[in-house]
Amino acid sequence: MTRVKTGNFSSHNSIPGRHILIIEDEPTIAEFLKTGLAYEGYGIVVATDGKTGLECLRSDAFDLIILDIILPDMDGFEVCRRIRTAGIEIPILMLTARKEISDRVTGLDIGADDYMTKPFSFDELLARIRAVLRRAGRGPDSPELRASGIVLNTDTRAVLVKGRSVHLTPTEFSLLEIFMQHPHRVFTRDTLLNRVWGYHYGGGTNIVDVHVSHLRDKIGDRPSRLIRTHYGIGYAFYPED
Amino acid sequence: MKKIYDRLTLRVRLTFLYAGLLAVILSILGITFFVDTRSLLINYVASHLRARAKPVIEHWLYPEAAVPSGSSHALRQPDSEHLKQIADPIARDLTSRNTVALVLDRKGNPIAKGRRLPEEPVPPPPEHSYYSQALAGKNEVTYIVPQNGHRTLVILIPLRQRPAGSSILGVVQLSSPLTPVENTLFHHGVSLAIGTAITLIIGSCLGFLLISSALAGLNRMVHTCREISEGDLSQRVNLPRHEDEIGTLAKAFDEMVDRIESTIDAQRRFIANAAHEIRTPLTALRGSLEVLLRGSQDDPASFSRLSQGMYRDVMRLTRLCEQLLDLARLEISGKIHKEPLMLDEFFKRFSQQARTLAREHEVVIREGPLVRVPADPDILEQILLNLIHNAIQHSEKARTITLGWALIPDQVEIRVADEGEGIRPEDIGHIFEPFFRGGGSASGGGKGTGLGLAIVKAMVEAHNGQISVESQRGKGTVFRIYLPLQ
Repeated sequence: MTRVKTGNFSSHNSIPGRHILIIEDEPTIAEFLKTGLAYEGYGIVVATDGKTGLECLRSDAFDLIILDIILPDMDGFEVCRRIRTAGIEIPILMLTARKEISDRVTGLDIGADDYMTKPFSFDELLARIRAVLRRAGRGPDSPELRASGIVLNTDTRAVLVKGRSVHLTPTEFSLLEIFMQHPHRVFTRDTLLNRVWGYHYGGGTNIVDVHVSHLRDKIGDRPSRLIRTHYGIGYAFYPED
Repeated sequence: MKKIYDRLTLRVRLTFLYAGLLAVILSILGITFFVDTRSLLINYVASHLRARAKPVIEHWLYPEAAVPSGSSHALRQPDSEHLKQIADPIARDLTSRNTVALVLDRKGNPIAKGRRLPEEPVPPPPEHSYYSQALAGKNEVTYIVPQNGHRTLVILIPLRQRPAGSSILGVVQLSSPLTPVENTLFHHGVSLAIGTAITLIIGSCLGFLLISSALAGLNRMVHTCREISEGDLSQRVNLPRHEDEIGTLAKAFDEMVDRIESTIDAQRRFIANAAHEIRTPLTALRGSLEVLLRGSQDDPASFSRLSQGMYRDVMRLTRLCEQLLDLARLEISGKIHKEPLMLDEFFKRFSQQARTLAREHEVVIREGPLVRVPADPDILEQILLNLIHNAIQHSEKARTITLGWALIPDQVEIRVADEGEGIRPEDIGHIFEPFFRGGGSASGGGKGTGLGLAIVKAMVEAHNGQISVESQRGKGTVFRIYLPLQ
């Protein structure tokens, strides 16, 4: 396992409000995909076989389909082929258990947009989802997050506070990005530690307090109104407008 | 020398042996032929000389015999005095360009020599040993002596007082150089040697070609072996002929590679399937953990759902691991500890376990005849538990699972029957394959490891037994295990 590097999450601007259809029969895999993606702000529908999946597509509009290859009724390739034959242009990300090149080629040939080989990293899945959505023109309209006079550009990594450029370290930038992406959500110190410093970070949670304090100084959040401390739990971002 | 010989290819070695053998046979034939021809020619020359000498000698020695009978003269016996008179004409008449005659008296002294012209050959001096043989009355004394660098044939003809009489007056020695015979023999010998050499060369070449074609199959096998050892198991020798020894070897080799290939294929499939079975819960575990660490741990509902799923996956991995170990143990050791088992007692003990496992089902045991069967009780228990587990998975609650046994010739049949959904006809041939799960089974998804029945089959086979299955859709399935009584 490679260590997840600090700042790895900095580009994780999830695209809230997009709807994803998961076609996966393994209950535990479907469960974590659903929970994890919902947490990132996506709307999720799970179908446990190909037939149900195709029915869901008829009744609802989705921005992306996550499709497992091994399904009880028909295989993922067949589902993919039927979706494309029906003229549905929703991007498809396939989950394959096999590393064989022929599988990937088959998948991409019949109209899948990308594939992931199991077991995969959830961060990589998020990155691929964003990439596929962007390629399909379903990405965010702007790389900028705006709140309370703060403009954070996820592409240029520039931060403007009340029109004035502020220099943030990668860690501070990641913290601010997470806060601005999920306003009003309370993040525990552990969660922030996992998301910004990586799952393997061995140190204590005090380091989170130190960096949040620096961040507050730099964005002029004194006394702290935007990033508020929930004692005994963690921090949350409350935009003023 | 031995080292060099060892380094030669079989082809070259066989060719050498073959050529050597051919050379020995040809030499023996040639030498025999040469020696025979030589003695034939010498005999011919000798008898020719004798034939020519006989009338001349008789003419001079017994002139009366030539006169018609009834002559007034009494038969005059030749004597040594007479010999002296006729020695010269005899010697003269018997001498020719190639032959020279010498008349000798009883003491061996030459009394007349036929040689007059210088081109006529010089007679060799008489040899005492041969001379005494002739004096003793032997007609055919022939020998060869060297004379002026040429071998010379000498024949001795005794001069008798009376025709066919025993009293001998002297001896005529005829000698003739063997040069013409030896020239002929030399030419003969040269052609024989050339012929032998050509035969040897052609024979060796043909032999090499024959041996090469006979051994071509071996070369092909070497080539195939190399390719196989480099990892291409699809290679075969595929010799067109199968009758000879090499063809049989190649066929046996191909069959062996077939079996190895199918074994390796099965292993590869097994490993790929096992990896897949491990990968799925690992994917779920990794994903769930990441999702939890990213923040879902703060939501009690998500936390509980994800951790329950993770617990199920860990249990699934544990079960898979145990079953893989079971299978490996059976395949590696294949050893079971059979003991005579009274089936009624065994089932009495086992019924408790069966009912514990199938708590929500009805377990019925139909006792059969009293019979003692050699089996490993622990393994038989595991076989039945696996089959009951399978029955539970594929039948609704409160349905009956029936166990029982019966005696058939030389075997005992143990049954496990359920009232479940049955097996699809297209699946029934595959259910004992590792990791096979019936596609039509509604409850198939993720419930079992797919190894249970494969383990049952391996365990039954470790008992030298057999297992069969019979199923009817919607009615149920019966597994029958046959264990030999001996």
